[in-house]
Amino acid sequence: MSPLSVTTLDTAVGAVEVHRGGSGGPAPLVYLHSAQGEVPGMALLEELAVTRAVAAPLFPGFGASEGLGAIDDIEDAAFHVLDVLDRLGFAQPDIVGMSLGGWMAVELATRWPDRVRRLVLVNPVGLHVPGAPITEIFGRPLDELAGELIADPEHPLAVLMRAMADMEQHPGDIPFELVRPVLQALAATAKVGWNPYLHNPKLPGRLRRVDAPTLVVHALHDGIVPRAHAEAYVARIPDARLADIDGAAHLAALERPDEVAKLVREHLGD
Amino acid sequence: MAATAHTDEGGSAVRFFSFHLMPYPGLPPEYDGPAWITCPNELFDPALGGEIYNRYIDELVYAEELGFDGVCVNEHHQNAYGIMPSPNLIASILARQTSRVRIAVVGNALPLYDPPTRVAEEFAMIDCISGGRLIAGMVVGGGPEYYSFSLNPAHARERFAEAHDLILRAWTEPGPFEFTGKHYKLRYVNSWPRPLQKPHPEIWIPGVGSLETLEFVAKHRYAYMGIPYFHISVFERMFTMMREACHEEGYEPDPLQLGWLVPIFVAESDAEARRRYEDHFWYFVRRLLPGINISPPGYTSVRSVENIMKNAGTFALNLTSWDEVVEGEYAIVGSPDTVAEKLAANIERLGVGNLLGLFQLGTLPAPDTRRSLELFAAEVMPALRRAYPGTERADLEASAS
Repeated sequence: MSPLSVTTLDTAVGAVEVHRGGSGGPAPLVYLHSAQGEVPGMALLEELAVTRAVAAPLFPGFGASEGLGAIDDIEDAAFHVLDVLDRLGFAQPDIVGMSLGGWMAVELATRWPDRVRRLVLVNPVGLHVPGAPITEIFGRPLDELAGELIADPEHPLAVLMRAMADMEQHPGDIPFELVRPVLQALAATAKVGWNPYLHNPKLPGRLRRVDAPTLVVHALHDGIVPRAHAEAYVARIPDARLADIDGAAHLAALERPDEVAKLVREHLGD
Repeated sequence: MAATAHTDEGGSAVRFFSFHLMPYPGLPPEYDGPAWITCPNELFDPALGGEIYNRYIDELVYAEELGFDGVCVNEHHQNAYGIMPSPNLIASILARQTSRVRIAVVGNALPLYDPPTRVAEEFAMIDCISGGRLIAGMVVGGGPEYYSFSLNPAHARERFAEAHDLILRAWTEPGPFEFTGKHYKLRYVNSWPRPLQKPHPEIWIPGVGSLETLEFVAKHRYAYMGIPYFHISVFERMFTMMREACHEEGYEPDPLQLGWLVPIFVAESDAEARRRYEDHFWYFVRRLLPGINISPPGYTSVRSVENIMKNAGTFALNLTSWDEVVEGEYAIVGSPDTVAEKLAANIERLGVGNLLGLFQLGTLPAPDTRRSLELFAAEVMPALRRAYPGTERADLEASAS
């Protein structure tokens, strides 16, 4: 395990928090996080940083990252990610993205295919698949969501979400510092994913443009994104394959860091 | 447009409004879900709907006969709490069926109209038809409406501010002109008709204490209507914040810039009032409020959420006993003397110049509603008008300004 350090990167929309560490590998690896903003202290990144230069930027609205006011939709998000790659000096990194981060990664890869070496999408949103809707994440009780995000009810995040759900009965008693990051993360997610709900209707027609060999990881207990979405990505991206993992739900990279790290390394040829 | 100044007589002005939510009284006892967003519309009985629409309109028209200064309607969608998705339809009926009262639409949820010039047009129609009696309320829209319309809540405040600017320009600038905003791009803004009142109708903004809204109202010198269902101390804090926001803008607000919306029920005695009212109040609180307080992501700024969360514990949904209702003044219920005394104390305490009474609430039947309105008009309103002698004069000035 190789701990990451917190750095700041100036971008067109403002200062962005980037967790960086490790070295080596054929290209740097960029991790794009989900609506959970799971980057700080993330075991997967510390594991990948043993053999790779890893950079995980926090999207505007998450952590200390500024600039959400300049982001209105997924297109703004894609341009922001491009800007982050430029400022990191990464010409063609490998990109791993989970859920919302997977969507951003693939939006980048359709627009600027030569900026991505290899791509890993973990339970990505971004598509609308008739008959297989993405579960509502906005306005849902946290104790219900916990089971859809995390398969193991004893996982610390699941325990925390249930504890926060109990506190919602007495909102005046919740320490605001606990609530603030959740509110900011949800507001940032709403900006890009409220309507159309967590998808871009134009994305399916553009997936043919993705050049990077792509691995789509689907967690069998994902309660948010049905497997049909992973299948749709694999069907439309020219060089793509699907890998299922067991014992994990939507936030699979948090819940099964070792299995995800293994899949990522295999796909990246490490 | 600024509300008028205090009257020369020294008494502060108070105007009396009868506010109707038009609640749906027919939710079956076995339904225990929310009244908003996902409340199944199979539960709406159109025959009952037709009956209560007509009854509720009659109750508003009756307020004019009884001597109220105005009537209020508001906008909500896809819910049982208030079945008035288009308050402008009701206001246009009232424009024809009344001849004297102010008609306050509190308000149109501007971000839900695209383009919002629709609001400029419809409000101007009501103002023309009513002979200049419209009070134009503008509101961001409730949290649940951003689900019901799939409208991005993270853009709510921006859209509201932009729609407001567009409507004001449509009313006051010669058309046609081009409007190029972030959310609305219109090549030919040229609203027909224009409002009768000049420069435009009085503008009211309802709110629950979000700082952005208070600052917006203070900046434009509009009137702020505090939305009910909180402990009275929350209103006190909210109106203090409103006064502070006005001080920041360098002026002292007129009481007519402040409005207090509160459920009121009057009967012959305190005991009789509670006996006739309490069940209907609980239907409202336990059946119609659940779901109203949902706040979608980005709808309220982080600093405002912090402020609103301080008040959340006193939201009426948490009420469990009638003693709490009385103590927190969630509803003013009693004999004419009791109601007059409590209202006078709170008008003084809050410093408000507009009293917006919700006389029908929940399942309260027509006879009880009418009797309460009659007792209020015959015994409470005169006592309060004596206590606030500037009232009628102020109302005339407000109409003229």
